[in-house]
Amino acid sequence: MEKFKYVKPGMSKINAGMPSKFGLPVKQKIISGIDGIPVSALIEEYGSPLFVISEKTIRDVYGEAKRAFDTRYPKVQFAWSYKTNYLDAVCSIFHEEGSWAEVVSGFEFEKALSNGVNGSQILFNGPEKSRDDLIMAIENNACIHIDHFDELYLLIEITREIQKKARVAIRINLDAGIYPIWDRFGFNYENGEAWNAINRIMLAESLELIGLHTHIGTYIMAQAAYGIAASKLANLYMAIHRKFDYWLKYLDLGGGFASKNTLKGAYMPGSETCPSFDDYAEAISNALISSEIPHENLPVLFLETGRALIDDAGYLLTTVLANKRLNGGRRSMVIDAGVNLLFTSFWYNLGVFPTKEMDHAEETTIYGPLCMNIDVIRDAIVFPQVKTGDQLVIERVGAYNITQWMQFINYRPNVVLIDNDGKTHIIRKKESLATFKKVEFDPKRG
Amino acid sequence: MKITNEVRISDNGFVFNSKTGDSFNVNPTGLELTKLIAQGHDFDSIKNIFLEKYDLDDLTFEKDFYEFCALIKHHQITSQEDPLDFK
Repeated sequence: MEKFKYVKPGMSKINAGMPSKFGLPVKQKIISGIDGIPVSALIEEYGSPLFVISEKTIRDVYGEAKRAFDTRYPKVQFAWSYKTNYLDAVCSIFHEEGSWAEVVSGFEFEKALSNGVNGSQILFNGPEKSRDDLIMAIENNACIHIDHFDELYLLIEITREIQKKARVAIRINLDAGIYPIWDRFGFNYENGEAWNAINRIMLAESLELIGLHTHIGTYIMAQAAYGIAASKLANLYMAIHRKFDYWLKYLDLGGGFASKNTLKGAYMPGSETCPSFDDYAEAISNALISSEIPHENLPVLFLETGRALIDDAGYLLTTVLANKRLNGGRRSMVIDAGVNLLFTSFWYNLGVFPTKEMDHAEETTIYGPLCMNIDVIRDAIVFPQVKTGDQLVIERVGAYNITQWMQFINYRPNVVLIDNDGKTHIIRKKESLATFKKVEFDPKRG
Repeated sequence: MKITNEVRISDNGFVFNSKTGDSFNVNPTGLELTKLIAQGHDFDSIKNIFLEKYDLDDLTFEKDFYEFCALIKHHQITSQEDPLDFK
């Protein structure tokens, strides 16, 4: 006699009188493949866990952002934020699309140069620039965004020593209605510090002031704040012209655009609340075009958005290691990807999805594989029954994870790019013991 | 382990616990398991019934059985006076 198909026994409590505030339950989203390649095939070939980057998504999202700004403002230049994801293959795609590089350390600067970026198309941000870094930047004709007076005076000193002019901008912190104000970076607009710095630079023969830069925060949901920031930069731009009869080349509004991920504690999903590129572009372009800057002297608008351009293109494929019932009755499961790979799981309720239709959804806690209590990928997610070995997909992990991940307890996994033709390529190889043997030395063993 | 007196189980998978006021839906295999436990079958007997009827291996059944038992015990559908009693 043929046996019946077995389904895992399940039970769910009926919670009458507590309807979902979002209405009827939606159908469980399933991600069975990425850009047409089945998840199972990717894991079979490259192992689990596995980061997957979609070139098509990168180019589509970049195109969307560029169109939003290009149709509203005459001169726009994107600069790829290296710290968001500095895998060479990812940076190269952005450079192919026309992005300059935005770097915040000597390491990132060297990486940009090695990716073939012309030094004059590198924006050098950040509070940490060593003497050697600054010399490298000056020699390569980069745009150095000065963060503080000590850096300004160090630059004057270096340029006198090496007798070469530096192209500089200053970073400005300002009140755009976003609190707390990131006043640890740059010179303040409201108390006149920024104007003082500008005056000092304009008097320095070895420094050429070419732009103004601000970065009002991260995951900014209020596009109007960018309008305020742009207006304040426009005021300084005009003040410089009035006093020195000089037009700067660019205004840099930085990054900080939100991605569609859902912040922890958010009432609505990020995909519903995140402003579109059109929203940000409208706020910034309107502020600049309606400022007192004459249209023929409008500066180039630089944008350094990272998160919003790359988050959607990154996936983490993972496998279920175990199912557990906690003391309080709550269901939990252990997967093979932990918080050491997913730094953004500390900020977001990341979307975790099965790869096939499954039944019996129940509130579940998802743990990573680390022998550490903090290794929680999702505190509470309504998730169907899964078995050991089932594969899951975590979406929107393209930003900050592959740069802020940490080698801890286990090797970091392969990162694979699916190119525009649907072919897969390893763009960062899984670590092995040899990775560590190369850089560790035991004096007792010689 | 036995189903407490206050629990009523319908044939379509609706379970009501008058002691706590909670009600539950069980899926068909969950219903079958609950009924077999209510009838007084022990683990080995239930395992044999399931292995005969379903396309299933003994380890998967054992894992799922104990997880289901923990769940119904948590909801006070079964009582287990001796914590070492797993029958």
